[in-house]
Amino acid sequence: MSLGGAAGGAPSAYDPKKLRMYGLVGSIVGIYLGAILNSALDTNVFSFIGAVAAIFAVVMGANAVRRVCAYGIGTGVPSIGMLALGMGIIAVMFGLSMAETLGSVLLGPIIILVYAGVFGYIIGVIANKVIKFNIPVMEEGNADLSMAGALALLGWSFAISGTLGYVDILNNVLMTGYIAIIFIAGGLAILHPFNANLGPDEKQDRTLVNAVMCSGIAMIATGIAALATQGMAAGLLQLVIGFAIWFYFFKMYYRLVKRDASAVVGTGLLPPTVQ
Amino acid sequence: MNFDTSTIIYILEILVGGLLVGIGVHFVPVGGAPAAMAQAAGIGTGTVQLAAGSGLTGLLAAGLMMSVTDNLWLILASGAVGAGIMMGSTMLTGSWIYAYAVGAPFASAKVNFDPITGFSQPPYVAPGTVGQGIPTICFVSGLIGGMMGGLGGAMIYYPLYLINGNAALSAMFAIGIFLVNAVIASWNIQGTIEGFHDPKFKKWPFAFKACAIASILLALASVLITGGA
Repeated sequence: MSLGGAAGGAPSAYDPKKLRMYGLVGSIVGIYLGAILNSALDTNVFSFIGAVAAIFAVVMGANAVRRVCAYGIGTGVPSIGMLALGMGIIAVMFGLSMAETLGSVLLGPIIILVYAGVFGYIIGVIANKVIKFNIPVMEEGNADLSMAGALALLGWSFAISGTLGYVDILNNVLMTGYIAIIFIAGGLAILHPFNANLGPDEKQDRTLVNAVMCSGIAMIATGIAALATQGMAAGLLQLVIGFAIWFYFFKMYYRLVKRDASAVVGTGLLPPTVQ
Repeated sequence: MNFDTSTIIYILEILVGGLLVGIGVHFVPVGGAPAAMAQAAGIGTGTVQLAAGSGLTGLLAAGLMMSVTDNLWLILASGAVGAGIMMGSTMLTGSWIYAYAVGAPFASAKVNFDPITGFSQPPYVAPGTVGQGIPTICFVSGLIGGMMGGLGGAMIYYPLYLINGNAALSAMFAIGIFLVNAVIASWNIQGTIEGFHDPKFKKWPFAFKACAIASILLALASVLITGGA
């Protein structure tokens, strides 16, 4: 075990329980903070907090993918990322709709979190008991993934629409089709880090930094969408912050890649073919 | 919302749709990465990509039909045919690459004689591989699987649209239900299968049970959401 925490049964430098707490608390608090600031000050410049909050959820999700997939699930890493987003989108729509029916918009994230956690746990139990996977962290991992997918989608939806209102999110995110962009950008951020870094030399910090980097790309995408739905100020702010996050963590990721690689050499231009 | 007979019918329709998706995945010849290198029979990509591809095409076809008629049977047929065409054209163009670019003879390592054409298979299986390309039996099985996936997608989309009347919301919800069922089924076949002649196909009752539990939970959530506005 080296300084970053190697995979394979997934020993890790950062404890999954701590990452889960940071992920859940960070994203929930962030989404509420953004929603309350936006509605209290009657503005939409704080929408970017939603996209920042999604980063916490994405890191938690990427760590859960890492833990489950280190056992080898036979279908490739992308399948579990798509499962996370599939469970997430249903939890988000269900939670927001229920909150609207109950008459309190701020209940939404809590309903989403509870539904996603319970549903993810049940899928994990099905995978272990019915399909006989026998992966010890399956229940926990699926609950984490489901909650991470749901909170990330909620954070980005909030970043695009600027409110947590069900009708606003329907009109600004679903009817416009931006949901497809955040669905795939979210899938990228959650499943891609482990898919790209897996192998015997996989290190937890490198994988998680990659996740933050992908969240920066997703934030750029929500910024472009927000330009159309919320106007210049909110959109540009997200674009700039997203680009800064992507740039900073891309540099950090490159540093970690150089740390873990046995050698980094420049190949120069392609040599002329000799036959 | 009020809970009446039609709600129960909607739940049942979503359940049947989810089960069709889950079982349909077992028919699709998913080869995964080995098939992409022509070292296993089947289409060279993962289950989720194939199932999602056929399911989404089915959704689009069903949605298009739904914009002109509300006849359930026409909508289901449109979804099934759309997804079947998508899966068929994927396998056909994939076969051209295996036949003319890779130059591999199509053979299945799971059966000695192709059950449909009766051709002998083992002499054509290259040593160290488990078949190459998409033999007739896999193609037929894939068409059935694609049509089942499309039928399932349409069967999920139809009641959702009747419940909330919002096409975008229904489509996203259907994609969610679709992905959950497709991933559970792909876990059951451990990533690769050749079709209904593969010994792994006998494991379908596990996926049936798992998808039934998941679909019921998803259906209960879906009948509660509203279309907004």
